[in-house]
Amino acid sequence: MSDELKLIAAAKAGSADAFADLVRAYRVRLLRFLLTRSPSYADAEDVLQDTLVAAFRYLHSYDPRWRFSTWLYRIAIRNAAKLRGPELVEIGDLRDQENDPLQQCIADSETENLWVSARQLLNDEVYSAMWLRYAEDMSVNDISRALDRSASWTKVNLMRGRRVLGTHLNSVAQQSEAYG
Amino acid sequence: MDKLAKQLHDDAQRIDASVSDELERRIEASLRAATPELEGSRPAPVTRPPLFWWASTITGVATAVAVIAIANWRAPDQPVAPPVNIVAAMPSIDLNAETAMLTGPLQQELDRLQSDLKKAEEKVKQEIGL
Repeated sequence: MSDELKLIAAAKAGSADAFADLVRAYRVRLLRFLLTRSPSYADAEDVLQDTLVAAFRYLHSYDPRWRFSTWLYRIAIRNAAKLRGPELVEIGDLRDQENDPLQQCIADSETENLWVSARQLLNDEVYSAMWLRYAEDMSVNDISRALDRSASWTKVNLMRGRRVLGTHLNSVAQQSEAYG
Repeated sequence: MDKLAKQLHDDAQRIDASVSDELERRIEASLRAATPELEGSRPAPVTRPPLFWWASTITGVATAVAVIAIANWRAPDQPVAPPVNIVAAMPSIDLNAETAMLTGPLQQELDRLQSDLKKAEEKVKQEIGL
């Protein structure tokens, strides 16, 4: 039995310490994703906290056939959607640029972060699929489980996302060439 | 890994996120306060054992048989009316009498009209002196 499965078994038995150890490796990864999905840093932290508490509370429903990270992301994506509410469909459209946590976290970077463009160009679900694929190296099956979508939907939308970002990168490259 | 995938992966790593000590304390405190739902506390799935299926089937069949048996057993007890000859029971109609009854008044009226006509003819003849 792997260490992760041992920790899961202990956490299922009610050990908060075991669960804290279990999710320690995932906290920064989840927070990084939530920063791109939340209107402020504080909101992203709140969603992270809610996600971990919900995961601990409902750990009995975790199916070990899935990767644990897939299950955590599934909860995080749902909690982030709840935070935004049904009236805010696309987070990128309504973001306050000054308080944008993603902008704050990449402020020191010299080049444009592609995830900022991705957030503006892709819808929420496609953005999440792209993140899980390229930031988390998840398989198509895991992504489809995390998003509660079919594998074919995931494949098609990953392709669309790539095409949109590829076109964007090409246009940026042409502009920079034009301006010398 | 192609160029786009590599850039997406690297850019994700460039997002500087860190869990602050305060957030860590908050998470640990909320985890300790949370009560995990144990597997046994979940409501049991509603699945009937095969015995229930057989019991309900046998009960249904037995009830149907009992209803049919009772219905057939009670049938002779019910008073049975003697067969009625409908033709005999129907009152016989004297078609001739019926016809006479229907045409009688018309015939009388016709006779009266003919009589009046005859009287009128005689009266006219007298008046014109024939």
